[in-house]
Amino acid sequence: MMNRLTLILLGCLLAWPVMAEDVDRRLDAAADGYVHVSNTSGSVTVRGWSRDEVEVSGTLGRNVEELVFERKGNKVTIKVKLPKGSSRSSDADLRISVPAMSSIDIGTISADIDVADVSGFQSLHTVSGDITSESAGGDVTAEAVSGDIDIVGGGQDSQFQANSVSGDVSFFRASGTLEAETVTGDLVADEGSFDRADLNSVNGEILFLSELRKGGRLTIETVNGEVGVEFSNEVSARFDIESFNGDIDNCFGPEAVRTSRYSPGTELSFQHGSGDGRVTISTMNGDISVCVD
Amino acid sequence: MTTEYEDRIEKAARSLRTEISPERDLWPGIAEAIAEPERSRWTPLLAQAAAVILLVGGSSAITYMTVKNDVQPVTEVTPNLVFERASFGNHNLGPGFQDARDGLAVELDAELARLSPAARAEVDANLEVIHKAIVEINAALEQDPGNTMLQQKLLQAYREELSMLRRVSGLTRNVMVRNDI
Repeated sequence: MMNRLTLILLGCLLAWPVMAEDVDRRLDAAADGYVHVSNTSGSVTVRGWSRDEVEVSGTLGRNVEELVFERKGNKVTIKVKLPKGSSRSSDADLRISVPAMSSIDIGTISADIDVADVSGFQSLHTVSGDITSESAGGDVTAEAVSGDIDIVGGGQDSQFQANSVSGDVSFFRASGTLEAETVTGDLVADEGSFDRADLNSVNGEILFLSELRKGGRLTIETVNGEVGVEFSNEVSARFDIESFNGDIDNCFGPEAVRTSRYSPGTELSFQHGSGDGRVTISTMNGDISVCVD
Repeated sequence: MTTEYEDRIEKAARSLRTEISPERDLWPGIAEAIAEPERSRWTPLLAQAAAVILLVGGSSAITYMTVKNDVQPVTEVTPNLVFERASFGNHNLGPGFQDARDGLAVELDAELARLSPAARAEVDANLEVIHKAIVEINAALEQDPGNTMLQQKLLQAYREELSMLRRVSGLTRNVMVRNDI
């Protein structure tokens, strides 16, 4: 009997640290306030809703010291606090509801970030997690080191900015202005409509399958990555396209000409339509394809 | 009255000599002057040119004598920093760039030490991609030094390296501080 009791107590002691804690808390918040979220690992999911409240639910890992959840003025802070110097697993999976017009700022190390239905400004940062954002009209800035970034536009013109070192970056139905940069990750802008788009990668491929508006400016630069451009509208612009070693394939305008006697590279400059926009594309080794849908 | 006065004047006028001889014979001088050859019209111009040369030369000499003791010798300043990979074609980039890069690299090392081995390896691998791109662009520039697109690409690659160092170190530091790790 004593042995059995000892085993049960021992089992409870061993099981205690691995048990996750559920959380479900709520605070009043400003309708268009600011929500700041920090989480080391796990996940952060944010959804906008019609209430003037912020709600946090989910689970906290065994090594989480505390979930800070407080409001000061228009700012609500949600922070997963870990013991100083802790290197043990401390996953926290947070589901957060915020007033739809809130602006949010999220920082994680290895936690995925997923945001939707929020119309304020979104500032999203992670080291190795993935970022998914569905804008409801506000500007979006997203940064990751190795995570992928996927941003969906909200039907209104906004400023979109995304940087990832090795992760892929994609924009779907975004409109307004766009700036994106990777080292080895690929970049895609699909079904968007832009006044200005700057896409830059060292080795990643870049695909622009969107509309360039009247008087718009598209700039694409890579070192080794290939570039594919397919305008979804009848674009009117001045084109300056150049590749040091790669080929240029265009379905409108004149043929590219070889410009250097040192390399097989080609160059293509021409005006299409009234030429009020500007398209500049350059690669060192990547091939370039330019066409109209 | 009037007729009598006029007759007296006329009579006096008739009594005057109609020829006056010079006090000495002028003809020998005139003949000598006619016999001399015509003077060249270039002579005054040459004189003026000589005067200008003399003026310019003289003023230059005076200027030289005045300032010769104030001229500082031209010295070539050699930077103390050793440049390795940070070069632009055959030229080194400035010490400001090198300082910025070195500083960011130190920051990055400190921040990366707090990340997982996988994240560190990811950053190292991508830095290597940028360095490899820089080497490739430099090699292409050696073939075609005047290619402005390659020059821009090289600058862009250096900018990308700085940008990545800054972004990664800033991102990790910012997130870690915010998470009280």
